[in-house]
Amino acid sequence: MSVMVNRARRPRLDKRVGELLRYRELVRNLVIRDLKARYKNSVLGFLWSLLNPLLMMLVFTVVFTVMLPSNIPNYPVFVLCALLPWNWFAGSLNGGINSVVGNANLVKKVYFPREALPLSVVLAQGVNFLLALPALFAMMLVFRIPFTAWLLLLPVVMLVQLVFSLGIALFVAALNVFFRDTGVIMEVLLQAWFFLTPVVYDIMVLPESKLILGHDVDVRRAAFILNPMASIIANYRVILYWGSPPAFDFLIRTAVTSLVILVVGYWFFIRVAGRFGEEI
Amino acid sequence: MAAASPAVVFDHVSKRFILHHDRPRSFQEWLVRRFRPDEDVEEFWALRDVSFSVARGEAVAFIGTNGAGKSSLLKLINGILTPTEGAVIVDGRISALLELGAGFHPDLTGRENIYLNGSILGLDRRTIDHLYPHIVKFAEIEDFIDMPVKHYSSGMYMRLGFAVAIHAEPDILLVDEVLAVGDAAFQTKCMHRILDLKKRGVTILIVSHDLDAVRKLCDRVFWLQNSHIRLAGAPSKVIAAYLDWVAQHQMDDLAEEAEEEAEAKTEAPTEPPAETLVAASETPADAPKPRGPTSKAIVPSAARHPDATRWGTYDAEITGVEFLDSAGKSAQAFDTGDRFTARIYYDAHKPIPHPMIGVAIHSEDGMHVTGPNTITSGYDISVLEGQGYVDYIVDDLPLIAGAYVFTAAIYDFWESTAFDHHDKAFVFRVRPGAPERYGVVMLPARWAHTPIDTHDTSASAPVQADRLR
Repeated sequence: MSVMVNRARRPRLDKRVGELLRYRELVRNLVIRDLKARYKNSVLGFLWSLLNPLLMMLVFTVVFTVMLPSNIPNYPVFVLCALLPWNWFAGSLNGGINSVVGNANLVKKVYFPREALPLSVVLAQGVNFLLALPALFAMMLVFRIPFTAWLLLLPVVMLVQLVFSLGIALFVAALNVFFRDTGVIMEVLLQAWFFLTPVVYDIMVLPESKLILGHDVDVRRAAFILNPMASIIANYRVILYWGSPPAFDFLIRTAVTSLVILVVGYWFFIRVAGRFGEEI
Repeated sequence: MAAASPAVVFDHVSKRFILHHDRPRSFQEWLVRRFRPDEDVEEFWALRDVSFSVARGEAVAFIGTNGAGKSSLLKLINGILTPTEGAVIVDGRISALLELGAGFHPDLTGRENIYLNGSILGLDRRTIDHLYPHIVKFAEIEDFIDMPVKHYSSGMYMRLGFAVAIHAEPDILLVDEVLAVGDAAFQTKCMHRILDLKKRGVTILIVSHDLDAVRKLCDRVFWLQNSHIRLAGAPSKVIAAYLDWVAQHQMDDLAEEAEEEAEAKTEAPTEPPAETLVAASETPADAPKPRGPTSKAIVPSAARHPDATRWGTYDAEITGVEFLDSAGKSAQAFDTGDRFTARIYYDAHKPIPHPMIGVAIHSEDGMHVTGPNTITSGYDISVLEGQGYVDYIVDDLPLIAGAYVFTAAIYDFWESTAFDHHDKAFVFRVRPGAPERYGVVMLPARWAHTPIDTHDTSASAPVQADRLR
């Protein structure tokens, strides 16, 4: 039997994780709800998860091979292997930001660990990512891109992305309860983020030395260090498109950064979660 | 935890809400606020230093007027709100009947929603698998279980929500004013189920205005008022004290209202409503111009209903209606069986020969209970002139618990001209306590039982009453 003590004291992170684990069935059902509800009202159903990135791939391929030729071989695969994880990330943030506010009726009426809401969004988007992977593999076969053993590192890169996305999603979900213009700001931010991340271009085109305001800046390195998504996307591309080993030092550094962001995001979330019931 | 330990403990709990009259809703406002800290903030203490404990297996109710802090209290137990001071200690699994079907997703089927809602209540899949058939049976939706709930009727929706919450195998059940689910049959079923849970040792905490249900279900009642526990103890004792207070409080309000009304009338006479003009056009040309009511309220008047309407020529006015109890004292709340007198004060500006004084009583939900008048009752008043009052007396009030709305009117003999019609204007209450609970009246009736000897062939076959349809 569980004794719950409800008092003004700040909850502890480890206790919350334990509670969330007890509610894993809820997380599972929220993920299912998310996926089922999304596909139930559309004729093509889950085919959209495949079709949407393929159509986007087509658009970018036309832009970057015909209109602005970039001379990247097998561009469709090049862009698709970055587009899929980016969609997962963007979907997690777009969904995560409304995950608490959008379930106001639930949050105001029933107690459950509120972090289950953003978590389920990130996981549902992750399932979508997995469902779209066959499309990528099919494209790789079409373009005769070899599958290498480095592909086995895919789950590791995915885990790093999951940790990073969850940290950001928790943060924005909580912030949106108190400031409803978080969504508007996020929209612009995501747009900028997309172009700052090497999704449609190769990170190697970024200059290693550029004079900015009189300082010599290594733009490529800065992009890697300041933007964990740049590193995550680059890693996907290395193991899928290039079929070569990832830069392990960068991967580890990104993993650590992501973990820090998750802890900070989670800490912020549970610090204010007690007020959701009255603020929403 | 020892079995004797309490299920719920409130240890000096206070809950403060900060009412930001214009809380920053965007970053811009928030930034501006940083430099201008004198924001318009008001504090509201929903609960103040509240301590009590509820034993395992006990059923308690929290009563009190709206805003007394009852719902906040349940939300503190539930963990939806965090106390500002003190601690709430809850030992056991909670299930809450706060908002039925809150977690339902319209696009998912009944089956999928049972699993979703069950897991929101903290159940694992195996437990839900096990409970599933019971939930479906209880909700009476077997045929619709694989249909998206957006196609459900509101009754089915509520029933399913109730069924999931009530089957969640709680140690502690929180109920907030949801005993009024579905039709009467389902309500009875819900009540039985709650009584059943109580028998099995589930601790029950309810918030309700249905004092009858509270009396039936609970071992102890807490009366909350102004963020404090005003009285706690046996249901009969606390409910009686609460009702006394409500009646007294209403009287005070009425006196205040009557005063205000009198002031308002002296300051600004109300415009006659449009109906007056229609009636006036039928009066002879030499008749005095139509006017609004002129008499000041000089008599104690019952509480006015917010939706009250009034029309007439105002040649004779009803200046007030007073309800009197058996002792002839002004009252707002009565017991079934009391002598009930409605005293209708009038001020006739011209002589009205053989007037018709009429009244009507409606139940709170609009049902017309009765509508007698002096003409149909054969009570002739030769003339109304100047001031006076007419009493409508019910010796043995047959109404059962509830709020009732009273209409009073003065017409001419032929009921063709309304002099003053106060439609659904006054309110009185009948306190719970009558043995009957259903409907609106207790008819003066009795029961008789006769067994029939089936071997006696000479007995005639029972004649059936006509059936509907």
